[in-house]
Amino acid sequence: MAVYETIVILDSLMAPKEIDALLEQVTGIIKENGGTVRKVDKWGKKRMAYEISKKQYGFYAAIEFEGPGNITKTLESDYNYNDKVIRYLTYKYDKQKLQSLKTLAEKEAAVTESAPVVEVTPAPEPVTEPAAEPVVKTAETVEAAKAEATAEETKETEE
Amino acid sequence: MIKMRRKRVCNFCKENVEYIDFKDERKLFRYLTEQGKIIPRHTSGTCAIHQRQLARAVKRARHLALIPFVTDFTR
Repeated sequence: MAVYETIVILDSLMAPKEIDALLEQVTGIIKENGGTVRKVDKWGKKRMAYEISKKQYGFYAAIEFEGPGNITKTLESDYNYNDKVIRYLTYKYDKQKLQSLKTLAEKEAAVTESAPVVEVTPAPEPVTEPAAEPVVKTAETVEAAKAEATAEETKETEE
Repeated sequence: MIKMRRKRVCNFCKENVEYIDFKDERKLFRYLTEQGKIIPRHTSGTCAIHQRQLARAVKRARHLALIPFVTDFTR
């Protein structure tokens, strides 16, 4: 099955809850038609390069999914039905994109393989425990010192 | 923008770019004229494979309003 990505520009005046609901609706459509959602990426509010339907700003969101080809058509009809969708783009990942994804994954794998060696050395937990203890110790030592001092004073007075 | 005639090395080939992403509009702006037109291959020096990819990326970016179709100077 091919990998697709659909990018939607929504009305920037929508409430965050509404945006989430709409994105969930889209993911629902993908799942209903036998697709799997890989990634949901919210770009946020952006200024558009030109006005679309007298709006200067739009909320961009991208959904990456995998599935059969009929999903794109159903998504399109849904977008056309919805007034909040200013613009949309659904495209299939071509072989160059897939290749770049592969190399990225390989690079990440190489990083994670080399990373554990580095991660072994730092141990933040032991640092916090001694930090707590000395306070008590110092308090005790202060008390002990006071007691000693008083003892000495008493000795001096006795002498 | 000054058009460089002499240099004929593809920037994408130099940097081993596998895929030209249309979401990265800043990189695309390097291959557009001030008016927003795509700079032709014989001036920018990009190879045929990457020029085709670039054109597709620019067109997608234009559709999503990341890049202007035309830039007017007389505002």
